[in-house]
Amino acid sequence: MKSNRQPTGQSTEREGIDRRHFLKVSGTTSAGMSLGFFLPERAQAADTPQLNVWVEIEPNDTIVIRYARAEMGQGSMTSAPMIIAEELDADWKKVRVEYATAHENLRTKRAYGDMASVGSRTIRNSQEYLRKAGATAREMLVAAAAQKWNVPVTECKAAMSKVTHIATKRSFTYGQLAAEAAKLEAPKTVQLKDPKTWTIIGKSIPRVDIPDIVVGKRQYGIDTQLPGMLHAAVAACPVFNGKVKSLDASKVENRRGIVKVLNLGDFVAVVADNWWRAKEALREVSVDWDVGEHGTLSSAAILSHFKAGMEQTELAVARNDGNTTEALSKAAKVVEADYFTPYLAHATMEPMVCTAWLQGDKLEVWSSSQNPEATLAVSAATAGVPQSNVKVHPVQLGGGLGRKSPQDFTKQAVMIAKAMAGKPVKMLWTREEEIQHGLYRPASLMRFKAGLNASGKVEALHIRVSAPSILATLLKLPLPRGVDGQAVACFNDHPYDIPNSLVDYAQRNTNVPVGFWRTVGHSQNPFGRECFIDELALAAGKDPVAFRLDMLPNNEKSKRDRGILEAVTKVAGWGSQLPNGVFRGVAETEGYGSWTACVCEVSVNAKNEVKIHRVVIGIDPGYAVNPDNIVAQFQGSVVHGLTAIFWGENTIKEGRVEQSNFHDYRMMRLNEMPKVEVVIAPTGGFWGGVGEPAQAPLAPALVNAISAAMGKRIRSLPLKNHGLTLKA
Amino acid sequence: MNAEGMLRRKRLQSLLLAGISWPCFMGQFAYAQRMNSGSLLSFDDMVQPIVQGAKIFKKDVQIEAPILADNGSLVPLQVTVQSAMTDLDHVTHVYLLSQRNPVTQMAVFHLGPWNGRAIVSTRVRLAGTQELVALARLSNGEFRYKQMEIIVTESACVDAS
Amino acid sequence: MNTARMQWPEPVRTGEVVKVRVLVQHPMDTGYLQDLTGKVVPRNIIRLLTCHLGQQEVFRVEPSSGLSANPFFEFYVRATVTAEFKLEWIDDKGQKGQHFQIFNVS
Repeated sequence: MKSNRQPTGQSTEREGIDRRHFLKVSGTTSAGMSLGFFLPERAQAADTPQLNVWVEIEPNDTIVIRYARAEMGQGSMTSAPMIIAEELDADWKKVRVEYATAHENLRTKRAYGDMASVGSRTIRNSQEYLRKAGATAREMLVAAAAQKWNVPVTECKAAMSKVTHIATKRSFTYGQLAAEAAKLEAPKTVQLKDPKTWTIIGKSIPRVDIPDIVVGKRQYGIDTQLPGMLHAAVAACPVFNGKVKSLDASKVENRRGIVKVLNLGDFVAVVADNWWRAKEALREVSVDWDVGEHGTLSSAAILSHFKAGMEQTELAVARNDGNTTEALSKAAKVVEADYFTPYLAHATMEPMVCTAWLQGDKLEVWSSSQNPEATLAVSAATAGVPQSNVKVHPVQLGGGLGRKSPQDFTKQAVMIAKAMAGKPVKMLWTREEEIQHGLYRPASLMRFKAGLNASGKVEALHIRVSAPSILATLLKLPLPRGVDGQAVACFNDHPYDIPNSLVDYAQRNTNVPVGFWRTVGHSQNPFGRECFIDELALAAGKDPVAFRLDMLPNNEKSKRDRGILEAVTKVAGWGSQLPNGVFRGVAETEGYGSWTACVCEVSVNAKNEVKIHRVVIGIDPGYAVNPDNIVAQFQGSVVHGLTAIFWGENTIKEGRVEQSNFHDYRMMRLNEMPKVEVVIAPTGGFWGGVGEPAQAPLAPALVNAISAAMGKRIRSLPLKNHGLTLKA
Repeated sequence: MNAEGMLRRKRLQSLLLAGISWPCFMGQFAYAQRMNSGSLLSFDDMVQPIVQGAKIFKKDVQIEAPILADNGSLVPLQVTVQSAMTDLDHVTHVYLLSQRNPVTQMAVFHLGPWNGRAIVSTRVRLAGTQELVALARLSNGEFRYKQMEIIVTESACVDAS
Repeated sequence: MNTARMQWPEPVRTGEVVKVRVLVQHPMDTGYLQDLTGKVVPRNIIRLLTCHLGQQEVFRVEPSSGLSANPFFEFYVRATVTAEFKLEWIDDKGQKGQHFQIFNVS
């Protein structure tokens, strides 16, 4: 793990800058160069000069490119620097990627912008300023060369870390130009490359973190080791939101290696000289928990609660086109169905882990966090120290999946560090703690009702969701018109040309805490929508693909729905003859700014074993920065998705989650993995996300295929509850 | 016309009227808008209902608040207005305005020469990353203001699309 | 019954400008959140809070749902003579609160 490389011999701190563009020179002897410049937007800010440092060039031509978000296997630590390198016209082989830190971002008044790796947003939200960053640096290097040769810049060209004078073929390497370029003023506007001329973006460049991962060198949060470090195992109340009434640590206090047992209000921590001792001792600390009134909550009660939501009169309306109630009453044929999806824990391979070290009023944190800025803010607030006294050291995450963006575990670690002031403490959750103290993907009850006319055209569609609200409960955000966008994702913005569309929402919170599970609302709603659309196609006697294509209007957005559906069904050979007993299912949806579709080919035998013959899954992300990484993301999404589809559910009994480890929260096995064919069909002109969209069409495509195979509809997940298993 | 277009138009209008610059907003606008639920107001949307055409200057006001708020439900902030707080020259009102909250006017403080200093502190709720405006009304009918962007780190989770 | 606390650094001398802190216990329900049954918790916030020093009103704030629960305020006041602080507030439900505290000035 590399931290921010500090140049020696020259102060990097420049206070009270009055020049709009500040350039930092790195290195002691012949000056390397760090090109600082402003994000063009911020360049206008008169009050406080901003400092952005994305690119440093060493005299030996090594280009250090900074990455300001988290890396959890999604690969943006490679893709984002690729974007800078493209505009910079860098020789990728000379690029070294380093993290930017949250404390540096704070010190420079957010020169690196947003640092959260959430919402499949890293590339699409940062691409513009990253491209500008690279382009600005490139133009300064070209200007420096032109100056040295005393020629106009138009006669010079940058490519592969070199600037060449076209006519005379003279050239300078970037390393040779760095010092001069550093003295120049950065251009106020830059010309970005035409995507058709990209030479780095669009290439399947191997991820920069892979070599270290393969040899076991890569530092994940869980690998943090510090001199004199203590280890903490924690347990929060098994019933959510419960508190510690009292605890009895007499059995373990004086055990070898046990340093302290802490009662921290809503959780208990055992601090020891190694984690095994801490964890084992924790099991023998008897805690009297105050569970409040929540000790009787059950999955059955939760389902009743959701069903009551379906009948409630006060609803939040997310979409209301035409007059759906009237149209339904006049419809020739009405199709109705309820769909259900369960609570899901994230089960990141690396459980929650955070190391914190409070020395006086200085705090250092190594947190496997998707949001280093949130880590910094929460750590400072918890420790009661100024934000400027906190250093958040970047670490690789062993999976994030949305669980590691909230900072509940960071807060715990800092509270422990505060109690053990002066000593570094690594707090690590057991798998049981992780599964039972999740921020679950909300369970959701969805009701669909559609009216078709005599020729099978859908005239009306009413979708009602009765489910918890992540935004209202986890983030405590006021909801515009009472609508939680995640709860109605892909419903309120469905692309189909259905003149009477009503989408409403009954917010039904429970004591089960909910949060952002990979693909969030799109991890469950497309299952309901696209399976129901198939039910309508069946009712209309139409082919599911043709049915969808007929319903997609002729506008700009729907062009993309059409495009990806056609691309994927083409590769899947939709319509072609299948062997006996093999059936296909299809689904298509937009999500995270990208358009995705999936076709699954399955057969189901007499023992209800599902054999997946093919998964053809595709995306139109606008631009594909690193195709091989997209393939990896999609293959991984299929693993994550199939695991959830077949076995994923967290059930509640007596106020607590029943599952605890992988024996009852089953993961897919290697030999069960089907062949996954990924179709990347970028149409350009927009930037869509890649990390999460793949899961969206997978469940409905698979379930549509299975329903076709079995001749009966499946309307709830997981499939194990229908007696179905995955055949290896 | 979308929020960004509206802002551009209003910004130009404001620039012509009273020499206000609203530089930080531009680039961040569309970006922040994509990040959270709720729409973002323009500067004029926020202040004109209160200012109603009176003279307004970006000076004499300081806002002390964390750039990074760890918790959107409890963000401490302090507003200081440079003023002698005499009978003839003092601050009469301090308004806290939110760009994104469901209710724009978060609070209004009434002050007078008896306060000795035009400094108020409180704790606010922020429904996501947004610009905050502290607007002060002076006894001569003029206004002073300061704006500040506060990043609410937890709300970064919210999906943009 | 909501409680309130007021605090300022003592001793206070005549002519000094003193920082006064006020903390009132109140949920400041925004009206945007729902309880577990999905029913909206109705808005109930303190909509007006005033502080008199003797007969003179020295502080007034009109909060909205944008202020945090258990509202906290700091303001300054010029000390002249010993007088009593009277803190008063009223919320959406019409519930009134009062708090008295002597402001000793020497």
